[in-house]
Amino acid sequence: MAVCVAVIGKDNSPLYIGGVGNDTSTDNELSRQWLVHTALDALEERLATTNTGNAGTNTNTARTDLRDLYLGLLYSTDTHKIYGYVTNTRIKLVLVTSSTSPSGSNIRDAEVRTALRRLHALYADAICNPFHLPGDQITSPKFDKQVKNIMMNNV
Amino acid sequence: MATQPGDYTEFPPEIILKPLALVGLSGLDAINNAVHKEIWDAFSNNRRADRTPVRFKLLNNTFEFPVVKPKRNSYEWYIPKGILKKNWVHKRVSLIPAVVVIFYDMDWNDPQWNEKIIECASKVQSIRAAVEGHTTRVAVVVIQSRQSPPPSEYMLGAERAQALCAACEIQSKSLFVLPHSDHLMGYIIRLENAFYDIAQNYYHHETKNIKQHRDHLNKTTHQYLFVRHQFKLGYLNELKQDMSTAHKHYMHAYNNLLETRTVDTNIHEVRTVAGYINYKLCKLLFALNLPRDAIAQLKSHIERYKNRIGSTELLFEHYAWIARQYSAFGELFDEAIRAGLPAIQSQHPGFYYQYAAQFTVKRRQAMRSVCSEALQYPPPPDPLEGIVEFYGQRPWRPGRLSADPHDPQKEQAAILALQYNERMFNHSTMIINFLGCAISQFKTFHSPRMRKQLVVEMANEYFYSADYGKALTLLTHMLWDYRREKWWFLASHVLNRALQCAYLSAKIQDYLQLSIEALSKYIQVPNNDKDRIFRNIMSVLNMNIPAAEPDLPATSQSKALELWQMSIEKEPLNVSVDMINISSFLEVKPKFKQARYRMDEMIDVEVYVRLSYTTTLEVKKSFITISSHTETIEIPITDEGSASIFLQGGKVKQFLCQFKPNPHDNGSELHIKNVSFVLDADRKRKITLNFKMDESKLSDTTIHPELLHFIMSPKADYEFDCIVPLTVANVTSRESKLSIVITNASPALQGEWFPTTFTVTNNEESPINNFKIALSLLSSPDNPNPDSVTELSLIEGTPQAQPIKLSLDTIGKLANYSNKFYLKTNRTATTTVQIKVSYIIDLPEIAKLECTKDFTTKITVIKPFEVSTNFVAMNFRPISKCFVDDPFIVMPQIKILSPWDLFIIDTELEVSECFRNTDEEKSLSCISNLEVAEKHVACDAVCIKAKYKPKDIPTRVGLYNIKWRRKSNEEGSCVMSTTALSGLSIEECPIAVDVDYPAVVQQLTSVPLRCILRGKSTNPIKLSIAVEGTDAYMFSGYKKMSVTVPPRDTVELCYNIHPLVAGNTTPPRLKATVLGENSCQEVVNEMFDKIFPQNIFVMPKYNK
Repeated sequence: MAVCVAVIGKDNSPLYIGGVGNDTSTDNELSRQWLVHTALDALEERLATTNTGNAGTNTNTARTDLRDLYLGLLYSTDTHKIYGYVTNTRIKLVLVTSSTSPSGSNIRDAEVRTALRRLHALYADAICNPFHLPGDQITSPKFDKQVKNIMMNNV
Repeated sequence: MATQPGDYTEFPPEIILKPLALVGLSGLDAINNAVHKEIWDAFSNNRRADRTPVRFKLLNNTFEFPVVKPKRNSYEWYIPKGILKKNWVHKRVSLIPAVVVIFYDMDWNDPQWNEKIIECASKVQSIRAAVEGHTTRVAVVVIQSRQSPPPSEYMLGAERAQALCAACEIQSKSLFVLPHSDHLMGYIIRLENAFYDIAQNYYHHETKNIKQHRDHLNKTTHQYLFVRHQFKLGYLNELKQDMSTAHKHYMHAYNNLLETRTVDTNIHEVRTVAGYINYKLCKLLFALNLPRDAIAQLKSHIERYKNRIGSTELLFEHYAWIARQYSAFGELFDEAIRAGLPAIQSQHPGFYYQYAAQFTVKRRQAMRSVCSEALQYPPPPDPLEGIVEFYGQRPWRPGRLSADPHDPQKEQAAILALQYNERMFNHSTMIINFLGCAISQFKTFHSPRMRKQLVVEMANEYFYSADYGKALTLLTHMLWDYRREKWWFLASHVLNRALQCAYLSAKIQDYLQLSIEALSKYIQVPNNDKDRIFRNIMSVLNMNIPAAEPDLPATSQSKALELWQMSIEKEPLNVSVDMINISSFLEVKPKFKQARYRMDEMIDVEVYVRLSYTTTLEVKKSFITISSHTETIEIPITDEGSASIFLQGGKVKQFLCQFKPNPHDNGSELHIKNVSFVLDADRKRKITLNFKMDESKLSDTTIHPELLHFIMSPKADYEFDCIVPLTVANVTSRESKLSIVITNASPALQGEWFPTTFTVTNNEESPINNFKIALSLLSSPDNPNPDSVTELSLIEGTPQAQPIKLSLDTIGKLANYSNKFYLKTNRTATTTVQIKVSYIIDLPEIAKLECTKDFTTKITVIKPFEVSTNFVAMNFRPISKCFVDDPFIVMPQIKILSPWDLFIIDTELEVSECFRNTDEEKSLSCISNLEVAEKHVACDAVCIKAKYKPKDIPTRVGLYNIKWRRKSNEEGSCVMSTTALSGLSIEECPIAVDVDYPAVVQQLTSVPLRCILRGKSTNPIKLSIAVEGTDAYMFSGYKKMSVTVPPRDTVELCYNIHPLVAGNTTPPRLKATVLGENSCQEVVNEMFDKIFPQNIFVMPKYNK
């Protein structure tokens, strides 16, 4: 199961960080945020290499559009696996699974891909809300509930 | 015990050292003998990687080789006391050379040859005796002072070399000659390679020896020996530089070690040795360029030993060991990268240093849980004293293999001693070292955020080790980055820790700045207790010691209090905080009301302030700083006249500042540089909150008021969010009240000096001074670069340089100034003239204000007339060409276009080179002193003839000059206009014809007709002449004849014609046909055609 899901804006500021865990203590939240924040390094590196790889060819814009939004496993630590997804507007979605729990360690790539796609759809729905200011943190309880659902059930 | 106990996990130097074959050099006196020293230096210095992997050791006479242990024939009763002996590697790398080389000075033709050979042999013998038991190889190098021929050509040398080998009992291939001459280095390199070969041979032999033991071993009692022997084989192969074989043997050693049974008593030894072997394995894998295998080896190594914890009382040892495995691997990885191995963001040494730090943290945790009792070092005898023979064994029970502790009391004391040492160990230093290594690696491999996290961890370590200053420095740097990326949760974490550090080190500036930021709505503080922080700020402002931060280490609190007591009344008394870079509880947006102000207007700036923290803040003084290119001024912000303003939490307050512009700033920009709020409690301390307005930064924060419409927020907030700061305003000069009237007779005519009168009237409220006028031509799209074709002047007929400046003095109120300028242009387009006035005026508000105003006037220029040309023959028939020496008439026609009446004074045709006037004297023009009006056409006629035939058709016949003036302008100067008249083609005819036809004849009256033919060319021309008669005439003379016209001479033909009828008649005409070469037939035809008239009027005859 996913332990944490994050939505990060194009300026790398966190828009939403949700985690499932029994305790919501500061330490847990802190380590979760560190984990997501450091995952940005790997994300940015991936994005930079895709861009420079395409820079040589003239069709780079077309290529960037066609690239897969799902970036796959960004990196893994002893305890966690971190997956990335970048939308066309450079909104970054990060999904963290625990490699210690059996459901987390045996997760298949396709499942993560589906979960992140659904998260993308949820995010799009959330920002369609006219009362949401783009660039602000997502505070919608509905979004939160649905994201938690993805984390609990699907993955 | 103040000193840090040494870290027992560090690898011994002999394990880390790269194994190199050891070669002993004997008989070299490097101190007294210059030649020997040079040889020794050549061997030992500058041992770069590309030289042979050999280590040289200078053996002096007193050097003693280790004693050889007696050979064991059977292992049956032998029980090994440990795994790896500590001294074995040391012996191999520095005590037992693979080769001993004896140097001896001797020339082949030495006079004392016999004595020398005996001495050399005895030296060899003594070395042999010394290495007795070892299979160390012996070689002899004979140092010779000069080059001798090779032994194959030098019989004496060959003989004596053989004799020497025999005397020393060495093989001939172990004897070397070193001529001490120019190419020393070359010989040394060759010798080195030879020694290396011998050494490899020796190590190979040694490995064979060890392999022989294997048959004697059995698995039950000799498990340790399996490890030991394989390790030795591995090491010897490394000395031999056979890396892959070495790896194979180390792998065997590692696997054999895994099979040993581990209990609490030997776990330390087993894992220590396992660590060394693993280190060797990883190092070899990196050397063999198999980094992935090295990483896999480390992973499986850790995995295998992760759970072999051993005694829980010494749990910290286990973590210390794991940390060391990681850090040593990190070093190996780093070395490999420096040697050229590529690494990537997800796999680089930084991770291993990070693990090392993490496990050191665990080590400290374990220490805290198990060592809390160890307050005292155990009483003597010191259980940790004593020499251990094997790696990883305990000093208090050396060489014992049985699982049960043989002396529980001693065991207890030893554990206590270890625990005590661990308590004393400074874990923070170690963690900081590891983190430092990791940070630099993460920085290299593009992981700035990972690096930041590690820096924060490092700062936490400094915090734990009570180095608050360093921790604060690191944290404030990191805070910046988290704030910029808006990771407020992480920023809060960093800020709270930094605030603790600032409090504990009593740094007032940092403490205040961090406290102010802590009040920001984005920052979460422990217990959500922002009131406490606000009270603390006020305390410091009031020179009181602030309350302590929560969760501080108890030991540091009293120290902090002391520091505060010392510093609270001291500098810094004026604390200024840069508010723009931090997120704070106060937000400011300044705004010029207009983007443009005139010099005579008041400039007003609106300042909006929002206090997001719920309190009432009294600001004693506040001001905005405004700068222009000349000065920087501070404008106080006041609240209904009072300097101190009160800000309400959650409210937006608006202030208006007004000031007059400085006359020097005319035309420049004003910038709001800074908005400052001074907090002051009437004590010595002040806090200045500076909002620096950086334009680049302001434009970054994009505000979209249209997006804010739906956002539910207090009305006041909405307004504040919608305000777009405007920090730049232009100051422009005030509007002038001068007016101008321009009078002229437009349109102007091309080429004339066209007068224009302008009158400037002062409509200002007061007189103006220093009045200046500048006249210039303006370029426009339909009239670019007017200066090149247009002249401007104040005096008719004399061009003046532009701009024409007029400097006048005072002009009174409602008075005016008038002047006239002249314009002459050759381009028929609209010309724009700019009249720029500038003056200084004294206004009631501003004295000596400079004002300017630009007036422009447009003048249309047209052509006065158009000239066209007709060419006619002498009989006024239009012609399209003329003949040389044949006169014709040029008729220029002047069509008047000017709407104004003109007076043409005179005209003149200036013929071009190939023409001339027919008359010797130039006749008067028919157009002179003529008054013309629009649409009139004046026509002139001038008779000219061509002088010769030029190569090309002439482009023009000549220039037609017309002197004219406006009719109204009687005394003004006249204008000379010149037009080129179009060209006419010129032909040459070989003959010219003169006929004296009368214009009018009388009926029935004979008229003689003479026709003269002139030869023009240099050749005689034969013509056949025929008369084309008509019914209207009778004629006499040859009807048909042939004549030859001589060159430059004439032929005369005479006829009489007699008209028969009256009226318009066609007279008989001559036709000529050129005989012979007839290329000029056509021209001649044309000539005859032209000369003979088509008709003659015949008068009837009256009978009187």
